[in-house]
Amino acid sequence: MDKEKELKIDVTDGAAIPTKKDKGLFTAWWCTLIGALVLLFYLITFYADPYLRILKFVSDGIVVTFKVTFASIFFSLIVGLITGLGRISKNRVINLIASVYVEVIRGIPLLVQLFYIYYALGSFFTVPPFVAAITAMTVCYGAYMGEVFRAGIESIDHGQTEAARSLGFNGRQTMFYVIIPQAMRTILPPVGNEFIALLKDTSLVSILAVGDLLRRGREFATETFAYFETYTMVALIYLLITLILSKIVSISEEKMRPYER
Amino acid sequence: MKDNNYIIHIENIYKFFHNITALKNVSLNIKPQEKVVIIGPSGSGKSTLLRTINRLEKIDKGRIIVDGQDITDKKCDINKIRMEVGMVFQNFNLFPHKTVLQNITMAPIKLKKIPPKEAEEIAYSLLKKVGIEDKANVYPAQLSGGQQQRVAIARALAMKPKVMLFDEPTSALDPEMIGEVLDVMINLAREGMTMVVVTHEMGFAREVADRVVFMDGGEILEQGTPEHFFTSPEHPRTKKFLSQIL
Repeated sequence: MDKEKELKIDVTDGAAIPTKKDKGLFTAWWCTLIGALVLLFYLITFYADPYLRILKFVSDGIVVTFKVTFASIFFSLIVGLITGLGRISKNRVINLIASVYVEVIRGIPLLVQLFYIYYALGSFFTVPPFVAAITAMTVCYGAYMGEVFRAGIESIDHGQTEAARSLGFNGRQTMFYVIIPQAMRTILPPVGNEFIALLKDTSLVSILAVGDLLRRGREFATETFAYFETYTMVALIYLLITLILSKIVSISEEKMRPYER
Repeated sequence: MKDNNYIIHIENIYKFFHNITALKNVSLNIKPQEKVVIIGPSGSGKSTLLRTINRLEKIDKGRIIVDGQDITDKKCDINKIRMEVGMVFQNFNLFPHKTVLQNITMAPIKLKKIPPKEAEEIAYSLLKKVGIEDKANVYPAQLSGGQQQRVAIARALAMKPKVMLFDEPTSALDPEMIGEVLDVMINLAREGMTMVVVTHEMGFAREVADRVVFMDGGEILEQGTPEHFFTSPEHPRTKKFLSQIL
């Protein structure tokens, strides 16, 4: 019914999520994917040395990048939900804590946060680099996700809350049975974007002695001095992962809206 | 003592929005099985008054007793009271992420712990009552406005409420769908449901109401039987209002 009231949250630091409207073969997404794949296969077949060697060398780094990404996503979704709920809480203390957290984190570059957690806090207690990396990513992206959750929850019509409350649901039940399931639909595109942005930002953890994709590439490059070949390969791999992820996000977005038609 | 005779007892309530007085010293008593229709120009406070009965609007002064419980008391468990007071909204407010059946069974299953099977049986019988049993498994967006509102009525009835509140239930509907919703409400009235209805449908008021209440400027200016009300209104503003809409 209310078509004019469709809400969209715009967060565009991730990657372009393909929408259903860009149909056809020659969308930017397809062009980029095919171009990247062709280049990748061309390089590893015709210039197996050094490209295939690079790929083999950094393959364990790809696994680490995924591990850091998924662990950070998982924890930052939890932190984000709590923060988002805190940001809309009527309890002034909770609201203030959540808001200050978001303000502080948004005001500090992620690289500085990584240094802070690993080196600055590391002078009080030692944290393994992998744990420090996930902690820093979670703290940072938890704040971003919190804003996304808040916006998503606030986008749901107040009538939904009134209907649930008038049936006898309490505030918490209303939130979890009625508001959040609907907010998921609005939240998914920006969360997908954060997902992709986070994956790219995991390259920063390479400075913490975490053997992720970028760090493994750096190791290979300093050994062989093949800087051009190595970073071309690393960039290609990041691009392919990001492209595939953005497609997954757009497909799950389609799947999330059965009740609209 | 007098409280016991009334299912809803509203006593000298006030409601302020910033510096506007939305309700000014309103008192209203409603007996079980009574059908009260509240009319008045827009902004007269009639919806606000209705919404105070299940505390969707909090009042600033006065007292409201619903089914023997003082809902203005801080210790009152308002969620318990709301289970006994069904509400139907102008914009239906169905849950768009749930099917029609789930919309109806959700509250009984989660709040009254009724087994899902049983809740579904109740839901099907209610859908039959409102005339759309074939739509149980579709989503609200696939229904017309009139059908959505009938589902909303079924959803409220599934909690087996003692009172039903209707907040302009037909105002958002296309004209050809008003009748089907009013028919459901008329049947409900015949079954003896206690109903408080804010509406502009004077035909419905005339046919169903035991009492018509006229509000303007946050006050109840006049109340009486439909015959009295539509044939010999006393207050000049009632007369003016009726002459404008009839």
